[in-house]
Amino acid sequence: MFPGIDGFHWTFGHILFLSLFFVVALTILTTVASAVWRTAKDFRTHKAIDFYWKENFSELPERDRRCRHELAGRVISRVCDNAFDCRHCENYAQFVVLPATGHVNSLGLNYSDDRYYHRGHTWLKPEQDGTVAIGLDDLVEHLVGDPDSVRMPEIGEELELNQVAWRMRKNDKEIQVRAPLEGTVIAVGGPREGWYLRLQPRLDLHNLLTFRHLLRGPEVRGWVAREAERLQLQLRAPNTPAALADGGVLMPDLMSAIPEADWDTVLGDTFLQT
Amino acid sequence: MASSTLMDARWIARGEERAPLSRFLLWLAPWIVLLAIGVYAAGLCLYYGLNQTNMDNRFAFGLWIFLDLGIIALGAGAFFTGFLVYILGRTELKPILNTAVVVGFICYSGAVSILMIDVGQPLRAWFTFWHPNTHSMLTEVTFCISCYLLVLSLEYIPLLLRNRQLKQLPSFFVFEHQLHKLVPVLAAVGTLLSFFHQGSLGGLYGVLRGRPFAFRTGFLIWPSTFFLFILSAIASGPSFLILITATVEKVTGKKLVADRVFRRLGYISGLLLALYVAAKSIDTLVWLNFTSRSEGFAPWQFYSHKPFGTPILFAEIVVLGLLPACLLIPETTRRRRWILLCAAAMACSGVLLNRFVLTVQTLALPTLPFDDFLQYRPSWQEIASFGGVIAYGVILYSLSYRYLPLFAAPKEGDPPHVSGH
Repeated sequence: MFPGIDGFHWTFGHILFLSLFFVVALTILTTVASAVWRTAKDFRTHKAIDFYWKENFSELPERDRRCRHELAGRVISRVCDNAFDCRHCENYAQFVVLPATGHVNSLGLNYSDDRYYHRGHTWLKPEQDGTVAIGLDDLVEHLVGDPDSVRMPEIGEELELNQVAWRMRKNDKEIQVRAPLEGTVIAVGGPREGWYLRLQPRLDLHNLLTFRHLLRGPEVRGWVAREAERLQLQLRAPNTPAALADGGVLMPDLMSAIPEADWDTVLGDTFLQT
Repeated sequence: MASSTLMDARWIARGEERAPLSRFLLWLAPWIVLLAIGVYAAGLCLYYGLNQTNMDNRFAFGLWIFLDLGIIALGAGAFFTGFLVYILGRTELKPILNTAVVVGFICYSGAVSILMIDVGQPLRAWFTFWHPNTHSMLTEVTFCISCYLLVLSLEYIPLLLRNRQLKQLPSFFVFEHQLHKLVPVLAAVGTLLSFFHQGSLGGLYGVLRGRPFAFRTGFLIWPSTFFLFILSAIASGPSFLILITATVEKVTGKKLVADRVFRRLGYISGLLLALYVAAKSIDTLVWLNFTSRSEGFAPWQFYSHKPFGTPILFAEIVVLGLLPACLLIPETTRRRRWILLCAAAMACSGVLLNRFVLTVQTLALPTLPFDDFLQYRPSWQEIASFGGVIAYGVILYSLSYRYLPLFAAPKEGDPPHVSGH
């Protein structure tokens, strides 16, 4: 084909055919190179995790994508179209001023008003020193009990909002916990410390926008009530009709207490995994 | 069975129900045995050469080339569905797109594997790219199939990266998405490549002046078989997708694709089949009355050797061409599932018969006064290699179905939502 081969000489057929072939081959290679380059760029500009989360979010069932204002009873029905990032929601101001309505029984779970809550069942508490403490909320504490093992991030690691911050194992199931805020890990705790992570936030703590994507007050109560309902329905005995308790409290360490449940689905829904 | 109770549950998409691993392995076992026998037979052919087959210098194309042409035609559903969705914007066919990619990938990788055994000397495969004979249709076929297999691999990768475990890695996930965004480019390139290699495979027969049964006149440098192969491939590809999906639905006992998608595919297949039958009929009449006469052959001389009598021509054009087209086009017949499936099976059989006739009948018929009618019976090595490719297809599709989101299930509780108060 190429010069250097005995007896070879270019003809019009060679030029036409090979040009076409190499254009096609080049197009294919350029397509792959472009995908690789775009991927690298997304990671370089910290967009990759955001984008990864948005894709994950779009795959969640609609039931798990409800707007915070619906949870608070400010609107009847609304699906979030901002991947739970209310910091960029154009309608936030319009809805937040509406009156919140009451909440229903949340099975005696403790959700403190001095904390912010992420839909992946973590709480976040701003500290006096400008850092934030992060832990698992009460519903998850009841669900998981004491995890068999915990894999925390390294100190100094940069976490993005909604990135998997740490992993836990319980009864051979892996649990991935999402970060409720972007920042740098400055300390790691665990189940015994009562908190799991301390972050140096990337954003200004005094800016109201920084925590706007996290749930507070009536939103938390509405959300927990729904999550508790979901849990009751998912953990009911097989072949029994759907029924909700109108009182009582959640028992501890549900994963060990009801090992036959479909924990794959329960944990996926709880920790927003697809 | 809930996927959580399966041993390989963490590899299966959440919410998807699959058979227990033991039952799945039991299903795979006979196919794995068949594949192993096929690999052994292929090894014999590669090591000892084509004396392991019953092909010879006169009967140079046999079971393998029939298989190649057949699965490449049926695999056309991949590029054609991609073309319909990404280029023509027929988004209603999206639910079938993933399975089309897998089927296409299996068909083309199977065809390339069997070609590699047939051509032999795989270590010298690069010769075809370094020393191309630009006057040969086969060179164009080789180039296009190689490129198209690359395209299909690139279309298959995003699907592979959507596996539950693989997509946990953000880098894979983002790459998959970025690659997926560029799939329309790949679909366009795939369409170009497919048109040319489907055409060239047909053209290959049309230019065989020494084989008057296959020789055809045509347009510029392209014989009529060039266009007929394209048309028959894009007509049968959607039907093959219907058959594959319906078979998977039957085996798994699940409804995977909406009936309207089946009907749409059936309609497209029927329309194209009708066009193909019309073109094929005209081509046959021109060939019988002009082309073969000008080569010195009486029109029906080719059909005097049994079993290749006129019934085979009738079967190819009418029974497995016109009839399925008539069943697939009207809404009333298409709505009945069994008619749709029968018609799709007939359409695929018709195209396979066409490839068989062009490959085997062409070579079997005598062309010179001292020639005899040749008989060819494939050796066990040829049959085993053939079976190996079929087994490879079943295994890869089964694995893909189990671990990849071939048919995206509708999200739970996803009715249209109401906004605001």
